Amino acid sequence: MISFILRRLAQFLVTLLVASFLLFAVTEFSPGNVASKILGPYAVQSQVDLLYDKLDLGAPLLERYGQWLGTLLGLSENRLGDPAIGLGLDDPRGVRYFGNLGYSLMLKEPVVDVLAQRIGHTVALAGWAIGFIVPISLVLGVMSGINAGRPLDRGISGVTVALTSLPEFVTAVVLLLLFSAVLGWLPGTSTLTQGDRWSGASQMVLPVSVLVIASASYVTRIVRASVADTLKRPFVRTARLKGLAPQRVILQHVLRNALIAPLTVILLQVNWILTGVVVVEAIFAYPGIGSLLLKAALFGDIYVVQALTLLALAVAVGTQFVGDVAYMLLDPKIRLR
Amino acid sequence: MPRLKQHPYIPTLIQQFADKQVGRRDFLRTATLLGMSAASAYGLVGRFDGLAGPVRAQEAKPKGGTLRLSTTVYDVKSPATASTTAHPLIYAQVVEHLTRTGADNVTRPHLLQSWSASADLKTWDLKIRPGIKWHSGRPFGADDVIWNLTRLLSDDAGSSMLGLMKGYMLNEVDTGQVDESGEKIIRHELWDTNAIEKVDDLTVRLKLKAPQLAVPEHLFHYPAVMLDPAEGGVFGPGANGTGAYTMTEIEVSRRAVLEAVPDYWGEGPYLDRIEFIDVGGNEQAIVNALASKQVDGAFQILPDFFPVLQRAEHLAYYEVTTADTSVTRMNVTHKPFDDPRVRLAFRLAIDPAKASAVTHGPFSTPAEHHHVSPIHPEYAKLAPWRRDPARAKALLAEAGYPDGVDVELTIQQNPPHHLRHATALAAMWKEAGIRAAIKVVPNAQYWNVWLTAPLGATVWAHRPLGVINLALAYRTGVPWNESSYTNPTFDRLLDEAESMPDPNVRREKMAEIEQLMQDDGPIVQTYWTKLFTFYDKRVVGFGMHPTYSVFCHELAIRQA
Amino acid sequence: MAELGLSGPQGLALGRLPLLGAVLRSRAATLGFAIVAAWAVVAALAPWLAPYDPTIIDFAAAADPTPSAQHLLGTDSVGRDLLSRIIWGARTTYAVVPLSIGSAFLLGISAGMLAGYYGGWLDHLVSRLGDVMLAFPALVLYIILITAVGPSMLNIVIAVTLAYAPGVSRLARSQVLALRHQDYVKAAEARGEPPLYIMVMEILPNARGPLIVDLCLRAGYTVILIGTLGFLGLGLPPPTPDWGGMVVEGAPLLPVYWHMAVLPCLAITSVVIGCNLMADGLRETQA
Repeated sequence: MISFILRRLAQFLVTLLVASFLLFAVTEFSPGNVASKILGPYAVQSQVDLLYDKLDLGAPLLERYGQWLGTLLGLSENRLGDPAIGLGLDDPRGVRYFGNLGYSLMLKEPVVDVLAQRIGHTVALAGWAIGFIVPISLVLGVMSGINAGRPLDRGISGVTVALTSLPEFVTAVVLLLLFSAVLGWLPGTSTLTQGDRWSGASQMVLPVSVLVIASASYVTRIVRASVADTLKRPFVRTARLKGLAPQRVILQHVLRNALIAPLTVILLQVNWILTGVVVVEAIFAYPGIGSLLLKAALFGDIYVVQALTLLALAVAVGTQFVGDVAYMLLDPKIRLR
Repeated sequence: MPRLKQHPYIPTLIQQFADKQVGRRDFLRTATLLGMSAASAYGLVGRFDGLAGPVRAQEAKPKGGTLRLSTTVYDVKSPATASTTAHPLIYAQVVEHLTRTGADNVTRPHLLQSWSASADLKTWDLKIRPGIKWHSGRPFGADDVIWNLTRLLSDDAGSSMLGLMKGYMLNEVDTGQVDESGEKIIRHELWDTNAIEKVDDLTVRLKLKAPQLAVPEHLFHYPAVMLDPAEGGVFGPGANGTGAYTMTEIEVSRRAVLEAVPDYWGEGPYLDRIEFIDVGGNEQAIVNALASKQVDGAFQILPDFFPVLQRAEHLAYYEVTTADTSVTRMNVTHKPFDDPRVRLAFRLAIDPAKASAVTHGPFSTPAEHHHVSPIHPEYAKLAPWRRDPARAKALLAEAGYPDGVDVELTIQQNPPHHLRHATALAAMWKEAGIRAAIKVVPNAQYWNVWLTAPLGATVWAHRPLGVINLALAYRTGVPWNESSYTNPTFDRLLDEAESMPDPNVRREKMAEIEQLMQDDGPIVQTYWTKLFTFYDKRVVGFGMHPTYSVFCHELAIRQA
Repeated sequence: MAELGLSGPQGLALGRLPLLGAVLRSRAATLGFAIVAAWAVVAALAPWLAPYDPTIIDFAAAADPTPSAQHLLGTDSVGRDLLSRIIWGARTTYAVVPLSIGSAFLLGISAGMLAGYYGGWLDHLVSRLGDVMLAFPALVLYIILITAVGPSMLNIVIAVTLAYAPGVSRLARSQVLALRHQDYVKAAEARGEPPLYIMVMEILPNARGPLIVDLCLRAGYTVILIGTLGFLGLGLPPPTPDWGGMVVEGAPLLPVYWHMAVLPCLAITSVVIGCNLMADGLRETQA
């Protein structure tokens, strides 16, 4: 058991390392591009060339990656903060510390600070969304699955198929039109700034709803499929033949077996929400990392994009790891390599 | 030199106005630029045509309260390099301009008490309003003005003021060095060591290399705010200023907070606090925030959203006619735009009225491809523009493109009307054999290429005089010359126009310039926009300004 | 959109059954197939079906964009015929989706089958690389590409390929593992057929059931992804008619001229529903 977890942990780190290299390679593949992005639109070629030399961008990709990783781990300095380069970038923590993600070129602040201001908002949004997604989809999925083929199942399945086919931006636009523009029950944006006449809670309703609608309908279908599938398995028939009450059969045997597969899917929803928040935060002007990612990409703020992608990678790989471990704990029959 | 009193041209100007040779608007603008106070100018106008000055609704302004405005919250550490009209919305409440151009396009003294110009328009005395103090308590004086102007005109500050004033304040110096691409490195210095001179503690004298009428309006260009020299040109929370507010917080691209300071030298302030809220690049979100009363006003609203907001009962509509526009400029260093016949063909294929209607509907008026607006005092009316795709085609053939040309038109993603405009242009160009692919880029990326792209649509803000835009954008070698346009005749005509106080004579010169722009110039220009916005009806004292200026110390809010 | 958990190595019942037959055995799949096929016909015949050139502006109609005799579905805010733009928009969708899904499946199936058939270090390598790539969501992958090289159609294809190939590869691998000890595979090996022949001619046809289900689902997600990119302003360069872009252009006027945003929304949603119904129906027939 311990060795399994350790082996998985090692894999987790290797995966993260390779992924971070790919990320670095894509974003910093063209060194001239990096220099001109750092200097912004009004730079002239001579300034770009100068920075290119100062940052040693001509070095081989692997060497630059080593440097980048070193900076991130606090082993080497971030040269961008060097006053001699004259970018006016300054980090109160100094140029060398663990978790140094560089500077936001857009906001002229250390990326760590930028993330610190926003990540809480996104965690709150995602947290509330997951908090609703899991119970809603379990209840609807199980109800639908045990009634497979009956009208209730048809109804739930029909609605969920339709909802999974709706892009989030469509859901968002429709909900805004209805609840904000027409009825006036909810605010049209969710900037969560002090002094807003709408409470923070009311500002959360629509963004959370959009995420829940998109994700819960999908998870419901998975749960339904798994429950319906399990009900056809021989051991359920055996239990029924033994005369166990249908309720007990469902609770004790079916659910235990049927919910193992959806568990991974639910964990994957955590990853999915990281994508989902990009759309939702942009539409509702929500001050989280999703809207930041979009803005940073449009601006060409490579260090913020790198940091946020790194975060998404860590979450994705982390959920894979948690999923594997949980899977094994829940189902002793499964012995992964 | 004797003390400058009334400008010698003013009596002539009054006579011309009395004889109806000069219109009311020209009179007001020219007279105030020459140093007559706005009040007396309006007074004179009232005597002649029975109209009073701008009617100010004398509504009592309640004190207290917080105003929340939706705008992009940019990094405003360096006002000298501010590049949009949204930058000064935040800093100009704290650090102020010497002059102010109002919504009526009349420029009035602000930190100045008055100015006066010599007969040849080459010596300008700027009198500072006495009794103004910095927030720190130190009196505001000539040394502060000199430090700021000198800095704004230095290469190191990187300010667009340099391009604006270069023609009459600076000399080019060849450093003898070349940069990597072999271009000469040119630096600038004041044309005369006494070009900016201290007369006394409250008077600064500018000596100009060439005559210039628009000096007071240039002093309201958005980077030209007076910073405390002790702070070295850096703006931030708690920065010293002369304004009615101080900035207490800023989180770039999210929010900025201003708080009132006591003892402001001018009107107000009435509001205790102003919060600028950035809802991201999403225009729809601005509308949603206004509709849900999450903000009390917006920097600007796009025509797309007018039908929606018009229905909101708690909002008031404000509009102003401006010389705000977007020019589809052709960079003459790229083929095929090096050939003036091609540039003319690109204009001939276009009917500005159609493009204007598609782009903004009733919120714009057609332009004439020369970047001088009918609301500019020196505007000269040319013969009506006639679209002629057949001639455009012939011109292309003559220039060596018998099969037409393929071009890529780069536009900004936001606001969406850029795409509507580009689509309309492409549709009309098609008839003349111009095949344009539209390339939409995120706004920030557009500013990477705006000076170099072969064909791109760039937004140009309203400026109160036509010559200001022409000088910023088309004079040889100025930093914002995005089309790399070089034409000695144009430069000469512009120099001459800038030195003529008589609007009628100046208009003749402008007719030549406008004609030259139509025949040879680097732009296709189809519309002038009206700017408008919506504010909550509780807000008192707001008026839409043609350069989006909001003078927050004049605003108040009624409690609901 | 969401990653998949649906398609495991469930039934093999689809077997060599002709695809159309399998589709017709399920009412849901038939309906889904009809929707998807109808749009395919529209896309193929766009130049003949569309009443107008989708980029031509009707300057008169721009003033009143509501549906009329000239413009059956009205025009967009610029005065371009909405029906023609939706028809040509189908072409955009039906070009980008098959291209990106096709390359994702080509890459995924090749990698997965090779890994499953040969096992060993190759299997390890493919699985680990897959893990790495699975960590990048498609939208994020595309955003990285934009930051590096800017938006383009090719980048959408690359992003979708890289994001979806690992999932496909896992599925293909599990199918190969399940099938490679079947008698007919052993027989072919005994005949001395080369591995490539065995994989393509023996295993793949029998593994295709779950792969097709997966393909339908992923095609639906890709339609949504492309719509979303268009909506976020990261999509295909205009004036290419693009459904997502049409929604974002029409959204401001929603309370006044609802048709401009709602009709392209319906187009997107119908294709996605079609894909999902096909996937659901085909899965049922396999179960």
